[in-house]
Amino acid sequence: MVPPATTAQPTAPSLTQTSLNKARRFFSALLRNPGSRIGLFLCLVLVFTALFAPLLAPHSPTELGVGRALTPPNAEFWFGTDEFGRDLLSRVIYGSRLTLKVGLIAVGISMTVGVLVGLVAGYAGGWLEAILMRTVDVLFSFTETLIALAAVAVLGPSLTNAMIAVGISSIPYYARITYGAVLVEKNKEYFKAAQALGAQHGRLLFRHILPNILSPIIVIATVGVSIAVLSASALSFLGLGAQPPSPEWGAILAAGRDYFKTAPWITTFPGVAIALTVLGFNLLGDGLREALDPQQRQ
Amino acid sequence: MTRYILKRILSGIFTIWVTTIAVTLLIHLVPGDPVQIMYAQSQSTTPEQLEQIRHQLGLDRPIYEQYLMYMSRLLQGDFGTTIRGRQPVLELLLGRLPNTLLLAFASLVITILVGVTAGFFAAHKRGTWVDTTLMTGAILGISIPSFWLGLMLMYIFSLRLGWLPVSGTDLKNLILPAMTLGLANAAAVSRLTRSSMLDVFTQDYIRTARAKGLAERMVLLRHAFRNGMVNVVNMLGLQFTYMMGGAIVVENVFAWNGIGRLAIQSIFQRDYPTIQGFILIFAAVVVTVSIILDILYAWIDPRITYS
Amino acid sequence: MRRSSTPRFLSAPLKQLCFGLLAAAIPLSLAACSGESPKASDSGASTGTPQEGGSLVWARYGDADSLDPHRTTTTLSWQVFDQIYDTLLAFDDNGEVVPNLAEEWTVSEDGLEATFVLNPDIVCHDGTPFDANDVKYTAERAISEDNPSVTKGAWGPIETVEVVDPQTVKFQFSQPFGAFVSFMADPFSSQICDSAAELGDAFGVSEAIGTGPWKLVSWTKGDEIVLEKNADYQNFGRPISNPGAPYLDQLVIKQIPEPQTRLAGLETGELHVIAEPPLEELDAIESDHSLENYIATKTGQNVFFEFTVSRPPFDDKRARQAVAYAVDPEQAIDIVFGDVVKRERCPVARGVMGNDQDFCAQHGYDYDPEKAQELLAELGYGPDQPLEVTLMTWVGGNREKMVQVFQNQLAQVGIQADIETMDIGTLNARVKQENETKTGESTFDMMGWAWYDPDILHQLWASPGAYSGYQSPELDALLEKTRTTVNSDERLEAVKEAEKYLLENAVHVPLYTPGWLWIYTARDEVNGFKIGPFDRPLFNDVKLSS
Repeated sequence: MVPPATTAQPTAPSLTQTSLNKARRFFSALLRNPGSRIGLFLCLVLVFTALFAPLLAPHSPTELGVGRALTPPNAEFWFGTDEFGRDLLSRVIYGSRLTLKVGLIAVGISMTVGVLVGLVAGYAGGWLEAILMRTVDVLFSFTETLIALAAVAVLGPSLTNAMIAVGISSIPYYARITYGAVLVEKNKEYFKAAQALGAQHGRLLFRHILPNILSPIIVIATVGVSIAVLSASALSFLGLGAQPPSPEWGAILAAGRDYFKTAPWITTFPGVAIALTVLGFNLLGDGLREALDPQQRQ
Repeated sequence: MTRYILKRILSGIFTIWVTTIAVTLLIHLVPGDPVQIMYAQSQSTTPEQLEQIRHQLGLDRPIYEQYLMYMSRLLQGDFGTTIRGRQPVLELLLGRLPNTLLLAFASLVITILVGVTAGFFAAHKRGTWVDTTLMTGAILGISIPSFWLGLMLMYIFSLRLGWLPVSGTDLKNLILPAMTLGLANAAAVSRLTRSSMLDVFTQDYIRTARAKGLAERMVLLRHAFRNGMVNVVNMLGLQFTYMMGGAIVVENVFAWNGIGRLAIQSIFQRDYPTIQGFILIFAAVVVTVSIILDILYAWIDPRITYS
Repeated sequence: MRRSSTPRFLSAPLKQLCFGLLAAAIPLSLAACSGESPKASDSGASTGTPQEGGSLVWARYGDADSLDPHRTTTTLSWQVFDQIYDTLLAFDDNGEVVPNLAEEWTVSEDGLEATFVLNPDIVCHDGTPFDANDVKYTAERAISEDNPSVTKGAWGPIETVEVVDPQTVKFQFSQPFGAFVSFMADPFSSQICDSAAELGDAFGVSEAIGTGPWKLVSWTKGDEIVLEKNADYQNFGRPISNPGAPYLDQLVIKQIPEPQTRLAGLETGELHVIAEPPLEELDAIESDHSLENYIATKTGQNVFFEFTVSRPPFDDKRARQAVAYAVDPEQAIDIVFGDVVKRERCPVARGVMGNDQDFCAQHGYDYDPEKAQELLAELGYGPDQPLEVTLMTWVGGNREKMVQVFQNQLAQVGIQADIETMDIGTLNARVKQENETKTGESTFDMMGWAWYDPDILHQLWASPGAYSGYQSPELDALLEKTRTTVNSDERLEAVKEAEKYLLENAVHVPLYTPGWLWIYTARDEVNGFKIGPFDRPLFNDVKLSS
């Protein structure tokens, strides 16, 4: 993959003429796998539900229903009602918006910060590299739960803070991948050549390194959404995330705990919703990994 | 080997050192006045008393001095006292820690037993319905939130069948939380085991063993399984860290009286000395156990290069 | 055995009758309005003979903050330290004050002196004798400037405490203080033995020295408190029949936050008594022959709204009134509790002097969303500019649900309320802190207090009050009058005047009663469990059936 020596401005292996073909091949590889078909379907259902929640929800997610509290699932209330007589189906539908938001924002935070940290550390080297990557190592040696917990302890319980906390906790994955890729690219001929020709740092980094780490980052980000959804719902379940009357799934589950015996549907449906969402992103992530990295296919 | 061990220990100490800095900074990141937030809970604390507490904690000094003070106290085993109840934090945490460790190790055993077995059979029966079923189960397993799994297990085994107690911190009560945490992680381990076993199956020595006409069972056990296990042992450290993290959630589902449950209570009570102590103890445990497991691994696996 | 204050009928009109009569302050044998439960008598047959000894596990949703009676006011705390310490006087089943540690007492004509003569031969948990010096130590500790005591206000204007002789102690006041005698029966006045001074910071945390029926063995914070029986205990005034040491050997008080988990633990026999079973399970429990519900009738509890008045918008009466008009407590009670709690209209609790529902309703607020919107419009809030507030309350007792209903009702008039729930200790602190800060978000809170005397109003609202909240010279004068008026008819008038002011200015907006830890469920083998007046669980008579 060494670029032609004749060009004055060296080009990295990038998405140019062949990109259309590549994309086509990628999608057919992705869709060949039944797992990723299911995953893609589940993810699309989530996005669709989140986008059209007001049209899909048969009732208001917040309107109290005096006299119809804890109604088991029936023709009118497919998922039954909760302790306030609110329609559980509508709450789960509206909850999908929060879930999607949590997934995207948390992944956005960890991806942006993680990639930047990795790029800077890998490119700058020296003490900056040492500090950044050792910090990443330290973060990595704890679990997301602990980091998220510490972040919420500082920021206070709310869904926004939970999103930030979950975002912070996944930074190491992106930082490490990017850092590794930078180290590899840094030693390649074209990169050295470009540097020698006085190409600007930022330009070099973005033009040459980013395309190379795109595939693993996409895979991690997809699985990252599932991890973010799980972590954020766990925080809400513990009371450290979404606060009432938010229809966040983890929060619904936490409130439904009191009615666990008499009204198990309150804990069942949001639980299934979380599991299906996480499953969707996991399957899609698996599929992407295989489609993007044929060597790893087994 | 000695060099490797030394290096691991040094990196562990470094991690804990960074944690102490993070923990010192933590209290400064709290929006508002942390002293007021914490100590106003003693209800009739006057502004003068707050000032005095601030002085006692050294919060009126430059941050590096605060850090040095905090470190010198930590080194003397003084983690401060809880805001509510004024108990020594270290004593409180160490009192609860055995419960968390018990839960984490019990879960680890379940994870390994279930995860490795499933992964091994999936690899062995690769491409058959056994593989498909086990791996479908595994991906479902990693998708189910542990707190929900816990509630479901509680519903089935405690409320419906009445076999197991719902909560508490006796040995009998260990089964459900350990199952919850163990099964949730077994799913991930089975996936890892499967792929590492598949690697082993394609290795030359297995082919040779088979070609030599060794009984399939012997091939599997003596060669494939043992070699595959090296990879499993390698990830024990990481798995243990996951167990500790998962324990925070599961302890709160089953009212298991470990440090995770204490941590959540402390967050609600804004009991920062306890939260700080919790993070430090958690870090120390995770780092120490990881080092021990890594050294064990290095000792078991002759192939490892101590770089 | 289950007589006294624990009728088990959830919807029995008898209970209302009790409340009504108590409200009129007619001394009435409480036994008459509770009666033996029909199931209590059937169920005795199915279990074995009650035996002495053994250990009882009592589970609650939270833990005590402290076992130092001067450091906390939470029910979770005093229900425990009430087992460890004793009080000079006690409340009998009718809520009347009777001798306890003190065998007699006298109050001087002018109300400036109160003298107590102690029973002889009372022994502290550490073996030292209990005498007048211990009483002096306790009182002085409670009101000392050096001690961050949270019950200071309740002790009144004490000037000196004098040890007349080892058995006699005399309190002198700078002003008449009518509520003092009954305060001596409240757990807040728990008598600490003076040897506690040597314990330093360990007192109330890992050690406690009192004269009560139970001794502290260990306290694992956030988990359990273990008490053992005080073999030397003598009962003089607690409303129980056992004159000596408790029959049980051990009392374990556990913290289990989730109501369902508590109930499940009770069903499996891990627990014997739980406070606050899941309310939605009460009917199921009723029909379960191995479990019994006990409902405290005379709790003195009052759940109410109060506001952060140090800054807009709640420094303006109209904003407070808008909230009061916007909420419909009846609907909320109906959704969340059914018939196990009642609408409360008065700032003092039912059964306490001055609780007159009709009088309070006249000066209080009925659900009137239009009125609320008008008031909000006057203040410049409307559909385009909603009033954004934070509603705080403390965890447990279905309060999270109550505030969610209120949140919904407030939204309908254009008040957007965020909810924050925290434990009661944090809430107490937070409310005070909010009141002491001039800037910040608009907050109000749903708070609960239990007291046996209208002096509660003085403690809450006389400047600076329990939370540094609403203060005015006019209110101070009214409250002072409720303290210094000795004649009971005149005092009733004074109390009502103060209530009227609190209601009309929407300072203290009463919501419902009781509100916390008032329903208990016990296994059938627990015999002799009793809830004394003002929600004091008593384990002295308890024997477990084999």
